[in-house]
Amino acid sequence: MIKNTHETIKVLIADDEVEFSSTLQTRLNLRNFQATVANSGEEALRAVEEEQPDVLLLDLKMPDLDGLEVLARLKEEYADIKVIILTGHGSFEVGREGMELGAFDYIMKPVDLNLLIAKIEEANASG
Amino acid sequence: MNNHPTLADRILPSSLKSSIDLGLDRRNYGHFRLILFVIMLAITAVPAITIAMLGYSNYKDLLQKDEHIQLKWQLDGSVRAIEQMVDSLESVVQFAARRDRYTELTTDSNLRELFERLHRQYPFFADLGVIDQGGIQQAYYGPYDLQGTDYSDESWFKAVYDQGLHISRVYKGYRNVPHFAIAVSNYDPKTRQTWVLRATIDARTLQRFVDTIKTNASDDLFLVDDEGVLQTQSDYYGNVLGRSGVEVREGLWSDPSPEEETVLYGIGNINATPWSLVIMKKGYITQDDWRSFRSRLLLIFFICMGLSVLTIYLLVGLLTSLIRKADEIQIGMMQEAEHTDKLASIGRLAAGVAHEINNPLAIINQKTGLIDDLLQISADFDQRETIRLNLKSIDASIERCKAITHRLLGFARRTDVLYEELNINDIIREVLQFLENAMLYSRIKLELQLSDDLPPIYSDRIQLQQIFLNVINNAIDAIGKDGAITIITNPIAGEVRVVVQDNGVGIAEELLPHIFEPFFTTKETGKGTGLGLSITYGLIKKLGGDITVRSNVGKGTAFTITLPINSEKK
Repeated sequence: MIKNTHETIKVLIADDEVEFSSTLQTRLNLRNFQATVANSGEEALRAVEEEQPDVLLLDLKMPDLDGLEVLARLKEEYADIKVIILTGHGSFEVGREGMELGAFDYIMKPVDLNLLIAKIEEANASG
Repeated sequence: MNNHPTLADRILPSSLKSSIDLGLDRRNYGHFRLILFVIMLAITAVPAITIAMLGYSNYKDLLQKDEHIQLKWQLDGSVRAIEQMVDSLESVVQFAARRDRYTELTTDSNLRELFERLHRQYPFFADLGVIDQGGIQQAYYGPYDLQGTDYSDESWFKAVYDQGLHISRVYKGYRNVPHFAIAVSNYDPKTRQTWVLRATIDARTLQRFVDTIKTNASDDLFLVDDEGVLQTQSDYYGNVLGRSGVEVREGLWSDPSPEEETVLYGIGNINATPWSLVIMKKGYITQDDWRSFRSRLLLIFFICMGLSVLTIYLLVGLLTSLIRKADEIQIGMMQEAEHTDKLASIGRLAAGVAHEINNPLAIINQKTGLIDDLLQISADFDQRETIRLNLKSIDASIERCKAITHRLLGFARRTDVLYEELNINDIIREVLQFLENAMLYSRIKLELQLSDDLPPIYSDRIQLQQIFLNVINNAIDAIGKDGAITIITNPIAGEVRVVVQDNGVGIAEELLPHIFEPFFTTKETGKGTGLGLSITYGLIKKLGGDITVRSNVGKGTAFTITLPINSEKK
């Protein structure tokens, strides 16, 4: 059975792969998350402003704004938002850079949903 | 690239270029060596030969000049001596033919008395004759009966009549003995006519005199008349009255004789006679000091050249081997750089592929997850379990792909990078704990030679664990069952070196360059991804270290890993 054991966490999924983000959105919502989707970097920045999510799942490679740039801008204005980098375009160096920019964690696609949820909860709980 | 031919391209023949070319192709060292040898030899030999030739020709000139001067002196002296002798003979005859003696000498036996007086003093006088103005011999004393002979048409008579003196060529006269004649003319005031006294003289006188002035300084010395007929005996051309073959030309000149010896001729006219003095001398080439000079010059030259050739030979050999060594080192370095480059670009390619595959893989993963979610919340229906089983199978495949892509990226679930002070020995022991069971199962003996003097290194624990896990796992796989693994650590030149060796099957030499390439594996399909060593290589490079391999088929393989003391600074 799908577990619904936690309080509602607002999650924003920023990813240009619509098939990926929408599916993940549906699945997270099934698990009592309040998930929304942004399909580009700019959109993600707007969505953050409007929806004030608790956790941002951030892809690195997006057409308009690179994930690392989004991260850098977010940290200026929304320092308390938890960002988990979730990308297929990862490497050791980029991961380290993301962590230095204040990301909570770095996860490579494809990821097991339970593991992702655990990370989201961990990030949310980290205050 | 600039394809214009350079100056060197135009000048040098292509065979030479191939050995001078600094490209990656191996040069022809034999060829190179030969060219170098020839060039260096030419540089040495040309000045040496030039100097030797200059010395040779200068000395030759000097000798020739010296020789000419000597010959000139000799010729002048000899000509003067003969002229003096002729003068004295002439004055004897002139004395006997005092102007007023014509009547005296043509009467009674006065001519005979004169002859006998003369003959006592000068035994070489053969006869005497008195000839009147008309050319008739009026008185004669000698072995022939020549009284009354008419000489009026003879050329010598005309000559003596005009010039007062005539000396004849040598001719065969009395008893076939060569003679010559001296005739003087005088005007007798009593008879008021010009008369002539003619004396015939044995030519041996001439010979004896020539013999006295002949010295060792010349090879031959003789008299010839204006037609080249010998007037005295010649060592070369034979006896008196033979033809000498000498061109009667006054002065000094040389004539190469058939034996390739230069013969010098010195020829001088004897005044008031038809004779010329010929001095023959062999050229300097036959002379001793010239020969010794030449042989000394040759000896010195050949010794010098021999030494040069030897020195150049050794030098060129040394130079060629040095260049060869340098080339080998260069080529080795280039090949290594090329290999490293290749691995790096394969790594980039693999990472690129992995990145591109990760995204669609993530979508598939999410889709199967969603389907599974939907199955869970919907009511039971036919084939529901079958669908779930198939989803599980898809998930398993996704996991496999994910393992590959994540390993390709060398990034298995890493979240942070942490540099800390570590002891390599401890890390190896930790890794071995994971592998204890596998080794026990495969009956592999482990030998640890871990140095106690190992300095702590500043590096990443997890990555080091991964490195050693991969390498030792690789050794276990190489052995199969029953064998031994030796792990040695030691400090070396400010770094830490770890050797992991096994006595397994070994790796064929032609495969060695490929073992760090991704997806290269000798294990059977499905057993290995061919990524272990590639990832290990990438991790070690990332930490600033190095890994090398040595292997013998059937004997085993040894991996040597070198790690810097401080990886962060690398």
